[in-house]
Amino acid sequence: MKVSLNWLKRHVDLPEKPDEIADALTLLGFEVDDIETTGLEPLENVVVGEVLDRQQHPNADRLGVCRVALGEGVGEKSIVCGATNYKVGDRVPVALPGAKLPGGFKIKRSKLRGVESDGMMCSGKELGVSEDAEGLLILDGNPQLGTPINEVLTDSDTVYNLEVTPNRPDCLSHIGIARELAAWFKRDLRYPEINDDHPLEERPDSHSIFSGVSVDCPEDCPLYMATVIRGVEIGPSPEWMQELLTSVGLRPINNVVDVTNFVMLELGNPMHAFDARDIQGGKIRVRLGFDGETMTTLDDEERKLSSRMVMIADENRALAVGGVMGGQNSEVKEDTTDIVLEVACFKPSTIRWVSKSLGLSTDSSYRFERGVDPHSLKFATDRAVELILETAGGEICANEYVEGGVPAWESEIALSPDWVRQKAGFEISDDEIESSLEALELEVATSHSDWKVGIPSHRGDLDRPIDLLEEILRMYGTHRIPSGSVAATATTRNDSPITGFVRKASDFLVGQNFSEAVNYTLRSQDEQTLWASHVSAKELALRNPISEDQTQLRHSLLPGLLETLKINQSRNTGATRFFETGRSFREVNGKVMEMISVAFLVCSEGAERTWRESRQEDYFWAKKRIERIAQIAGVDLDRFPIKPVDTNNAAWQEGHCSEIEEPKAGISVRIGLMNLARTKEMDIRGEVRAGIFSILPERLHDPKRVKFAPFSHYPSSSKDLALVVDKNEQSGNVLRSVSKIAIKATKGQFDLEDLHVFDVYEGIGISDDKKSIAFSMTFRSMERTLKDKEVNQAFDAIQNEIREKTAYEIRD
Amino acid sequence: MEEELKTIVESANEKVATVTNRAGFEAFKAEISGPNGSLTRVMKGMGSVPKEDRPAFGKLINRAKTQLQEMYDDALRSIEEAEIAQKLGPAIDPSLPSPEFGPGSLHPLTQIREEISRIFKQIGFTVAEGTEVETEYYCFDALNTPADHPARDLQDTFYFPDKASFGNVSKKEDERYLLRTHTSSVQIRTMLKEDPPIRIISPGRCFRRDTVDATHSANFHQVEGLYVDKNVTVRDLKAVLDYFFEQMLGKGTKTRFRPHFFPYTEPSFEVDFSSTHLAKLGSEWVEIAGCGMVEPAVFDAVGYDPEVYSGFAFGMGIERIAMIVYGIDDIRYFYQNDHRFLRQFA
Repeated sequence: MKVSLNWLKRHVDLPEKPDEIADALTLLGFEVDDIETTGLEPLENVVVGEVLDRQQHPNADRLGVCRVALGEGVGEKSIVCGATNYKVGDRVPVALPGAKLPGGFKIKRSKLRGVESDGMMCSGKELGVSEDAEGLLILDGNPQLGTPINEVLTDSDTVYNLEVTPNRPDCLSHIGIARELAAWFKRDLRYPEINDDHPLEERPDSHSIFSGVSVDCPEDCPLYMATVIRGVEIGPSPEWMQELLTSVGLRPINNVVDVTNFVMLELGNPMHAFDARDIQGGKIRVRLGFDGETMTTLDDEERKLSSRMVMIADENRALAVGGVMGGQNSEVKEDTTDIVLEVACFKPSTIRWVSKSLGLSTDSSYRFERGVDPHSLKFATDRAVELILETAGGEICANEYVEGGVPAWESEIALSPDWVRQKAGFEISDDEIESSLEALELEVATSHSDWKVGIPSHRGDLDRPIDLLEEILRMYGTHRIPSGSVAATATTRNDSPITGFVRKASDFLVGQNFSEAVNYTLRSQDEQTLWASHVSAKELALRNPISEDQTQLRHSLLPGLLETLKINQSRNTGATRFFETGRSFREVNGKVMEMISVAFLVCSEGAERTWRESRQEDYFWAKKRIERIAQIAGVDLDRFPIKPVDTNNAAWQEGHCSEIEEPKAGISVRIGLMNLARTKEMDIRGEVRAGIFSILPERLHDPKRVKFAPFSHYPSSSKDLALVVDKNEQSGNVLRSVSKIAIKATKGQFDLEDLHVFDVYEGIGISDDKKSIAFSMTFRSMERTLKDKEVNQAFDAIQNEIREKTAYEIRD
Repeated sequence: MEEELKTIVESANEKVATVTNRAGFEAFKAEISGPNGSLTRVMKGMGSVPKEDRPAFGKLINRAKTQLQEMYDDALRSIEEAEIAQKLGPAIDPSLPSPEFGPGSLHPLTQIREEISRIFKQIGFTVAEGTEVETEYYCFDALNTPADHPARDLQDTFYFPDKASFGNVSKKEDERYLLRTHTSSVQIRTMLKEDPPIRIISPGRCFRRDTVDATHSANFHQVEGLYVDKNVTVRDLKAVLDYFFEQMLGKGTKTRFRPHFFPYTEPSFEVDFSSTHLAKLGSEWVEIAGCGMVEPAVFDAVGYDPEVYSGFAFGMGIERIAMIVYGIDDIRYFYQNDHRFLRQFA
C-alpha cells in the first residue's frame, strides 16, 4: 500500500527526515518495500540567486561567466554557466560549494577552462524535480534571494510503499498509519474534523430522487448506508486533493469520485457514488447475482456474474459488483447532478471469492477482503458528504438509508503486567506497559495487578493477553529486545534415523569421489514414462502442476541424475560421477509410498583423458557400493534374492542389471547398466552404470550397538571345490546349498568360517550348457588346531552330500 | 686334490657372472653342489684320502664350500634384486598427476543444512524429519491457518487429486494431500508424538507454486526450529537466534526483530541481520528469517496446555543462507548441478 508523507502530516506531526519515518514504520511492523520521492529532495546549500550580469567566457564560446546575487548572508558570487535560456534579472536555484545534488554530485569551487566558478546554477533535472536539462530552472514569483530552495519548491512528497500484514486491516488508510506513527513518536493524532452545519430540518427530502434500500443477503452485506446529495456540480477536484491522490498512484477523475477515493485512502472505507438518475425505480436492492447475469464494470470489462456475488442493483439490473467495482451504467458523469453515496461493509470471505473468481482486485476489494470496521461507516459517510459539499456543492437530503446493523462494540482484555514481563523475559515497567497501550488508543484501567484493557472497534485483531504482548513489544521496540544466554540443557533425543542414514551414505559416496547433485522432485510425464514405463503415472500426478515439465512426483532419482550427467557432458566439465539422496515415490498395492532413496551413477565417457587408464567400473563395482549403502541403512542384502531386472523395465540394459524388490522389508534396489539405447537417445556418450537403494523411512532405525563376537586363536584350514552347474544357475543359489551342506557336515565339530566363489569358468572341458564355479571353504575351530584327517573327512562328507542331494557335478 | 678344489672355485667364480635367473642359478648350483656336481665328486673322494691327511683335506673342503656359498648367496641376491627391479619397472616421475578421480563433494545446500544442524545440536536441538507429501490438516489447519488463507490457494500450493492415496502419510480426517509448503508440519507431527520439552529443527524440501527465476524455485529447502517447555520467553528466542546467526554468519553478526504476522505464532517477528563479514551485503539490515512465540491455538491442536507450556518457532530458507554465505546470486545454480559449480564446494 502506498502512503504519502504529506498526507500523513495532515494527521500527525512527524520528524523532518523521511528515513527516520521509514525506520519507524519498519519497526512498527510495516515493511517498507520502497521509498519514492516526488518533487525536490531536501537539499542543503542550494538557494535562490539572481543573475546580475553575464560576460562571455574568455576561453570558451559556449560558456558565460555570471555575477550572481545570493542575498545578504552570502553576497555575490562568480559562476560559470553553459545555459542560454536565462536573462539578466532572472532568479534561479544556485548550488553553492558543499551542496550535494540528487544523484550524489558534489559541488566544489573549481576552475572551468581557466575561470573560477564558485557554485552552479541548476536545471530542473539537476535538482531532480523535472526532466528538463536544457536550461536553468527559472523561478517564478520573485522569491527572496538566499532562500533555501526547499522553501521555494515545496510541492515535494515522499511516498512509502508499505506491506501491511493481513491482521491489520485498520492500517489500510492514512489515518491508520498515522495512528501508529503518532503512538511511536508519542505525538497527538488529528482526526479530520467534521463541521455539521447542515441541520436536519433544513435538509430537503430525497424521495423524488431516491426512496429506499433493501438487502436480500444480510450475511454477505451486514450494513449498507446510502446518502443522497442533490444538485452537485461535477468538475475537477481541488488541487491539493489531486496532488495527494496522484502521489499514491490514483488518477484524479472528478470531484465526487475523487472524494470517495480520498476518504477510502484517508479512513480506509471504500465507498461508491451512483448517479441517482441511473437507479431505475429509485431504489437500491442488495442481492446475489443470477447465474448468467452480466454487467460492464467501470474498467470497461463485461463481467459474468454468479449467485455467490453480491450485487448492488436497482429494480431491473445490477449497478455494481458489491465491494469490488461499480458499473458503467450508473457512474458519476460530467452532467450528473444528484448522487447516491454508498458506504457499506461486506463479508471478507465473500469479497475474496468474488475478487478471485472475477480476477479483479481493487482498492475496495482489498480492504473488504481484510475486513472493514462496521462501526466506522457513519464517520466515513459524514466525512465524504462534507468533502463532496465542499468540492462539488449541492445539498444533503434529510433521509438516512441504513440497512442492517452490527451489535454494539464492547471488548475488554484482562492483563497482568507481571504476566507480560514473564512472557517477555525481561523488565518492562508498569508505566511503560500502560503508556504503550494507551498510545495505541487502548483504554487501560489499572488496579493492582489485574488490569483491564478496553479495545476500540477498529482493533478486532486483539482479543487475548498474548495479542497485547505483541502491541507492548512493538511500542517498546522489537529492536530493543535484549539478548540473553542460551539455556542449553542436555537433550536425550537423537537426530532422526533418516538424517543419520542420509548423512552416512552421502559421506560414503563422497569418499568414493562422487559429487552430490540436487534435482527437482517434480518431473515431466514424458521423462517419467521413458524411464519407468511400468509405473502408473496417474498415481504420482499433481492436481495443479505449474508447468508441463513438472507434473508429477519422481519415481526414481536416476532420471534427474542422467540429466545432470548430460548437462555436464555437454558443457564438457569432465565430471562423470554423481549421486543424489532424497525422496522418491513408489506405488505399492494402489498406494503411493514416500521412500528415502540414495542413487549414484558413473559414466565411462566424459572424464578428461589421463596419461594412464584408471580402473573401469562395472556391474560388480556398482553392486559393492549398493551393498555398502544398504549396510549403512541396517539392511543385509544377502538375505534377499537378487534377480535380473524385469524385462519390461526399459530403464536398464537386459542381462546387465539386477533388482531386489522386497515390499515387506520396505526396500527396493536396482543395480547395473542403464539402457544403452535410451542413454544414447538422450545424447549421453558412453555407458552409464548406476545403482539406487530405496527404503521406507519407517524402516530406518538408530544403528544398533555392535556386540563383540569372540574369534578363534587357532589356525584355519582351507579346501577348494569346483562344481559344474547349469549355465543359467545363479552362483548365489549354488553357494547357498553348498553352505547349508558344509555347515551340516561340520556341525558339532568345527565351524565353516568362510565360503566364497573364487573362479567361474566356461569353455574347453565344460559342456556348452554348463559352467564351473569354484568355491573356497575355510574351516576353523574355536578350541584347537584342526587335524588334516578330520578336515578331509568333513570335506569327503560334503562332496558325498553334494553328489547325492544336488544336481551339481563335482569337477576333479 | 687341492688343485681340483681350486679349479672348481675358480671356474665357479668365472661362471657365476653368466647366471641371471633362477633356473640358470639352479643349474649352476647343481653343476657344483648337486648329486653329480664337481664338489660332490671331490667330497666323495674323501674315503680314499689317508686318515692323517683327512683333517687338512676337510679344512680345504670347508673353505671351498664357504667360498661357493658366498657366491651362491650373492648370485641369488642379485637375481632377486633384478626380479624386483623388473617388477617395479623404471623409476616414477613423481611430478606426474594422479590419474585418479578428483574429490567427491557434498552439495552446498547439504553443507549448509549440515552446518545449521551442527550449530543447533550444540544447544540441544536435534533433527526431526517428515514426509514431503503432507495433508492440508498438518500443513495448514493445525497451524491455525484460516480456511480461506491465500497460502491454501491452488495458485500457491501443489495439491494431489482427491482420490490420491499415500500409504505412509497419515490423514487427520478426509483432507486433501499436498506438497508441504513449509516444514512446520514436522513440528505438528512431532508434538503429537512426543511430550515437552521439545527442541527440534526440521530441515527439508518444500514446494510452492512459484515460477522459477533468480530468487524463486518451486522446489526449495527450509529449516524450521521449535522449542517448547515451561516458561519460554521472547528473550530466549532472541538469544537462540543471536547465537545461531553469529555462529553461521560470523562473530559480531547482529540481528534485529521486526514485528510481523504469521498465523502460527503470536507475537510474530521477521529477523534481519547485519554482518561485517559479508562485505556490502551485510552493511544494511537484510531479512533472513521469520519467528515468533508459538500461537496458543497451535498448542490446542496438538493437545499441549497453553497455560502450562510456551515455546517459540523459527524458520528460514536454506538456499537463501547458502546464497548469502557463499555469495551466489542465482538460485538456479543449485539445481543445475554443473560440476564447475559443485566442485567449488569440495
